[in-house]
Amino acid sequence: MTVRRFHAEAVTAIGTGALGVAGVVGAMQLGHGWSESGPESGYFPFYVGVILILASLWNLGTAFVAHRAALVREGQGEIEEPFLDGERLGRLARFGGTMIAFVILTLVMGIYVGAAAYIAWSAWRTGGYRLWVALAFGLGFSLALYVIFEIAFLVPLLKGPIEPLLGIY
Amino acid sequence: MENLDLLMHGFGVAITPLHLLLMVAGVLLGLVVGVLPGLGAPNGVSLLIPLTFSLDPTAAIILLSSMYWGALFGGSTTSILFNIPGEPSSVATTFDGYPMARSGQSTRALTLAFMSAGIGALIGVIVITLLAGWASRFALRFGAPEYFAVYFLAFAAFIGMGSASATKTVVSLTAGLLLASVGMDNVTGEVRLTFGFSDLLGGISFLVVVIGLFGIGELLATVQEGLHFRGVSSRIDLRDMLRTIAELPRYWATTVRSGLVGIWMGITPGGPTAASFMSYGIARQASRKGAAFGTGRPEGIVAPETADHSAGTCAMLPMLALGVPSSATAAVMMGGLMIWGLTPGPMLFATKPDFVWGLIASMYVSNIVGVILVLLTVPMFAALLRVPFSIIGPMIVAICFVGGYTVSSATFDLWVVLVFGLVGYLLTRLDYPLAPLVLAMVLGHKAENAFFQSMVLSDGSLSVFFETALCSAIMAIGLALLVVPKLLQLVARLRHRGAVGQESH
Repeated sequence: MTVRRFHAEAVTAIGTGALGVAGVVGAMQLGHGWSESGPESGYFPFYVGVILILASLWNLGTAFVAHRAALVREGQGEIEEPFLDGERLGRLARFGGTMIAFVILTLVMGIYVGAAAYIAWSAWRTGGYRLWVALAFGLGFSLALYVIFEIAFLVPLLKGPIEPLLGIY
Repeated sequence: MENLDLLMHGFGVAITPLHLLLMVAGVLLGLVVGVLPGLGAPNGVSLLIPLTFSLDPTAAIILLSSMYWGALFGGSTTSILFNIPGEPSSVATTFDGYPMARSGQSTRALTLAFMSAGIGALIGVIVITLLAGWASRFALRFGAPEYFAVYFLAFAAFIGMGSASATKTVVSLTAGLLLASVGMDNVTGEVRLTFGFSDLLGGISFLVVVIGLFGIGELLATVQEGLHFRGVSSRIDLRDMLRTIAELPRYWATTVRSGLVGIWMGITPGGPTAASFMSYGIARQASRKGAAFGTGRPEGIVAPETADHSAGTCAMLPMLALGVPSSATAAVMMGGLMIWGLTPGPMLFATKPDFVWGLIASMYVSNIVGVILVLLTVPMFAALLRVPFSIIGPMIVAICFVGGYTVSSATFDLWVVLVFGLVGYLLTRLDYPLAPLVLAMVLGHKAENAFFQSMVLSDGSLSVFFETALCSAIMAIGLALLVVPKLLQLVARLRHRGAVGQESH
């Protein structure tokens, strides 16, 4: 599966446009006109949102024009370089997927367990290290986090259900 | 000579054992951040800000600014040894740095880079020292309309002078302004754009956004390319180093030119990246052996490095004196100042002279510390890149999420980091500039406040921005910066098309 540059441009332009629409809608709920004491609180976001929508539409239009030019060149035998080919997409998906799993695990079990498991898993599965070496990397990293944040800088990190059992709050 | 007295006072503040220790720590951390792909100066500084809450502001800013200098040095190290720019601003250093290192002269390439970087930084600090007092006195005459005009000028300069498409810069800017207005409005006290989500009540922290955009985003871009490093020897040979230092005066013309480019791009919102490219281009045109550039010319290393660092240091001047940062990292540092309870701008010079002049003095010291440290520790940091990516990559990810969490101890911020990581990847790949987004998030409230106060002054008439000579001048420069560069491009393109058309007839 490959992603064309046009698709990426279009999705991004629609996304930024949607952010603009959200801003305008939110500002209209607040009131975007003038009161006796000056502009209402929706005034600034309203116009910023309008500019964002217009610029996004322009980007979308530019992407369309570039796409049609690319199609014409393709007809003449010139292939446009893909935004993401299958191989890169696969690499990104694997890395991103593990990252999302790490975030979810962190929300449930806390940062220490999440980070240890994530680093051990990556070292084991993609790095090809033996399981116990990988686990040592993960646990070592979490221990370093604990020493730096909780002990040296007194900044508490997110903890899950396991840490209290070990006497760490 | 008033500035000189203040500077001497600043040295008294800056040179204490604790501050020197923080400079060393900051430079070393900065080197790590600069060397590793995925960690750059803006998000390195963001990651560190939550850890500075227990320090006093002077110590904190010394730590953060030292980290910035370290990151700039680290970025050039990987450019030269691995052909991988650790920072966007060191891309131009790869053109001649890597070929020179590959031909067996890595010590010469690294020494040239670090020495000219150090000289560039000193040029920048001297300019700050000379202009700081004047700039802050000038800025004292500013009222709300003038401030809004200055913010407008900064935004306009990004749109007009940036290398990216103007509409993409506008999208980046306005998206930042919208994100900044989420949460409690500090003028009217109303809650805005939260759409009922209680997690959004406190607003979206720009620190968390920067960590996602620059950290995770840059890492995803690295992953997609499937990293394989082809490094060259990173041993530093002392005799080669001294010989290179002796050869430096030969490039004085390049150094002076590049320093000037850096000063200009640092004070106006061009930023270090643009400065290094521009300076490389100028050095190439000025050299008689122009054709040999790209094969390891010493001027090709001196020019971008000098400009990069003098722009990086000069970016602190508008940040301190006006409260308008001209680079993404300066924007993050300014956000840090506001979190510590300081208000950047002319009043800072009057109310906190220890802080301002301590910082300026520390910039002299920490850049010299930086040059020495980086020459001593290069082999160690180059070894970092030999750690397999399957280990270092997830560690960087974990550090980014930990950093995002520590900003306000909110689990919601983990999602913000993730979402902005994906957004950052997409935007970078599509050539959207990210610096305007960060700048807009930091300046959003201040720009809106200035606008609100101006409107109250004038009873809602936009003419208030053209009432005083100063304000209209700033607005006029802003409008010119917005329109003129793009118009010139258009004219050039039309003329080119006309010329091509005539030839074909």
